[in-house]
Amino acid sequence: MNLPTYDFLSAPLWLITVLHIVTLTLHFLAMNFMVGGIVIILFGKLNDKWNNPVIQKLIKLFPTAMAATVSFGVAPLLFIQLVYPKQIYSASIINAWFWLWIVGIAIISYYFLYGAAFTKKMALGRSSVYLALALIGFLYISFVYSSTLSMGERPDIYKALYARVQSGIALNPDIGSYIFRWMHMLLGALVVGAYFVGWLGKDDERVFKIGKTFYLWSMIIAMLLGLVYLFTLKAILVAFMHSAAIWFLFLAFILSLVSLYFYSKKKFYTTGILMVISLLSMVSIRHIVRLIHLEGIFNPATTPMKAQWSIFIVFLICFLFAVGIIWYMLTLFFTKQQQAA
Amino acid sequence: MNYPFWDVGIGYGILMASIAVIHVFVSHFAIGGGMYLVIAEISARKRNDSMILEYLQKLSKFFVLVTVVFGAVTGVGIWFIIGLLNPSATEVLIHNFVWGWATEWTFFLIEITAALLYYYSWKKISAKAHMFIGWVYFGAAWMSLFIINGIVAFMLTPGKWLVTGNFWDGFFNPTFWPSLWFRTGICILLAGLYALLVASLSKNKDFKTRIIRYNSLWVIIGLVIMVPTLYWYWHAIPSSITTAAHQIMTMPIEAIDLAMWFAGAIFVLIIIFGFILPRWHHFVIAVVLMLLGLGTFGGFEWMRESIRKPYVIEKYMYGNGLEVAKTQQYEDEGYLKQIVFRTGNDGADLYRHACRSCHTINGYRPLAPAFNGTDKIFIAGMVKGASAIKSKMPPFMGTSQEANLIADYIYQRIDQRPLNEVYPLQGVALGKKVFEIRCGKCHVMGGYQDNSESLTGLSDEDYNDLLDNAGDLAEQMPPFTGSDIERKALIEYFKSLDKGGEK
Repeated sequence: MNLPTYDFLSAPLWLITVLHIVTLTLHFLAMNFMVGGIVIILFGKLNDKWNNPVIQKLIKLFPTAMAATVSFGVAPLLFIQLVYPKQIYSASIINAWFWLWIVGIAIISYYFLYGAAFTKKMALGRSSVYLALALIGFLYISFVYSSTLSMGERPDIYKALYARVQSGIALNPDIGSYIFRWMHMLLGALVVGAYFVGWLGKDDERVFKIGKTFYLWSMIIAMLLGLVYLFTLKAILVAFMHSAAIWFLFLAFILSLVSLYFYSKKKFYTTGILMVISLLSMVSIRHIVRLIHLEGIFNPATTPMKAQWSIFIVFLICFLFAVGIIWYMLTLFFTKQQQAA
Repeated sequence: MNYPFWDVGIGYGILMASIAVIHVFVSHFAIGGGMYLVIAEISARKRNDSMILEYLQKLSKFFVLVTVVFGAVTGVGIWFIIGLLNPSATEVLIHNFVWGWATEWTFFLIEITAALLYYYSWKKISAKAHMFIGWVYFGAAWMSLFIINGIVAFMLTPGKWLVTGNFWDGFFNPTFWPSLWFRTGICILLAGLYALLVASLSKNKDFKTRIIRYNSLWVIIGLVIMVPTLYWYWHAIPSSITTAAHQIMTMPIEAIDLAMWFAGAIFVLIIIFGFILPRWHHFVIAVVLMLLGLGTFGGFEWMRESIRKPYVIEKYMYGNGLEVAKTQQYEDEGYLKQIVFRTGNDGADLYRHACRSCHTINGYRPLAPAFNGTDKIFIAGMVKGASAIKSKMPPFMGTSQEANLIADYIYQRIDQRPLNEVYPLQGVALGKKVFEIRCGKCHVMGGYQDNSESLTGLSDEDYNDLLDNAGDLAEQMPPFTGSDIERKALIEYFKSLDKGGEK
């Protein structure tokens, strides 16, 4: 009996790539708001911060941001598994325990966020402990993600590791190849967090100032770390320089710098647009780096395409419906709330 | 064999169940609970019942904390665990159903947004708008079930997809509809059980009586839907699979029996503490009901998972990730050539990919008790004849040399003393044990592949001849390699059958 095959893509690769990049950017936005926001709340110097309404609003928004992080994280995980199953599954099996713990730690961190949000009278003690614990959880999750996905690009590493350890306790040992990327992303999270802190606190000069300081300095440090990361690319640096990634890098760099100006002028819509395009560019760079790393090992363009257009159209209709209904519900929520007020 | 193998001390079944059963228990509540909240709200608003509305508001907080956090993240957890335990099967599912999953994701987005808005908008927006959001939540959650159900049901009954490879043939497979309605029944049952848990904490006795009765009705409705749809589901499964479950590996039957006992216990407890003595409904009873609900649902999932054996995707991929389509390739080239991730220990690599996803040596579904006191030739024979064992095992399609390597790997890890020392028995008792160990995996006296009739009335010489030529009797039968003590004891046991001895 000729059984159906499964080694195919059910839509053109470019379409899957676009969806992956867009949804991953949304995931990063939500996650960065949360992680960056927590760091700024915990370490930003602000007198009587726990009674500050902006800080309280931020803390109350974190669980929703976490919901968005999880929801927007599902889609890119699905698409990356679709295109790079061999790399993703292999790397995750090598450090299976660390990978699996992401689930438990995400749940616990999520509850800490709710703990902080539901604390009736926010106090330094309880709220900061909840937030700090949630932050530790997110640092763990982001580190394991960086480690695993970096390892997925290096079959030589995960094959050699597996030959030594089969019990799923081996983290990517080539730490130099991803530690700076991870730190660059964390500082990037601070930039996004600072953007939202500044936006929500635009009428509170003290909060705005903290946001601005974090926005500026985390951007500078993120850029420096990004530069260091570039040099860790070593063997593929030349290929990187000759790829479209360099243009995306240039674009992200310019837009980020320009956004500083608009931030200081409290033009948050413009700053936001520039920041999102910057983030999109950086996610695209990440995608190109993956392709360069895998050059000669795996080229996703060689995977045969067997389109499933009928279900794709169903997906598209449902997606548009989801956007519409979510928009409508949010309108209902905010308009009626305003009317009630 | 394209992936590394996660060699962890815990059984794969336990790892899978630890995330999946808990997730489905919460995610189905997330659907039924949504319906419960909005219907109860409509009814309470019609009667202007502020106590019920206050209770529903409390329940919706509990609902968000359980479903949006635990339910959603454990749902992602299922992705994590299936990718670790059976990456090959996950790859098949993703490639074939990616747009199904993507569509489900759109409903997931609606569901999460609506759940949060529903909770945060109590008393903040109009009743009509609030109930609208509630309905949107329920609709999206049920659609999520609709889609995931298609993919999960596909694994047991891929139906025409095996021929056409068409998405819709796989999705609307033979068990799609009964499974969908059965799961809808479970959703309603769980909505009632979770609501009873929250209601059991109420201090107002009159209110408690009222709400306990109302919630109990949900449980009964859930059970009423579940019973016929389970019957429908069972009969939608190809009879070859259900017959094998009755005759060869009865685990699915035991699982579903257990589920039905639990469901029966729920029914009895609900009648007593839901309708007759609602004031006595205590938190402890609510917890017991929850555990029974978990048992009922867990039993069903256990049945669904185990009845699929030896496949993970019926007639397409075996539980150990081997592909039916590559049978010829495995037979021609052996397994080792297909294993991409090698450790330098061929026996270990072969054992992991052929056996380890369902068995450990001493822990989960252990091999040691089955092989302690035996020998490499016997173990290799059992490996080669795996598909004949009274259990639903994937066939061994590798070479004889590879079977020997697996046997050697297992042999090094079991009790190597002679069988009569491992089991300090004598005479007929020892013979019976020898039969259990060496013959009983494929032949059950008075049961599966029973050949007891051919063993009666023979002379010592005949028995010895039979054992000498055992390996030639059938292709999948190993030779008798037991010691003289075992042989003597086994013959004694055969003879005792003649005299009406215990089988």
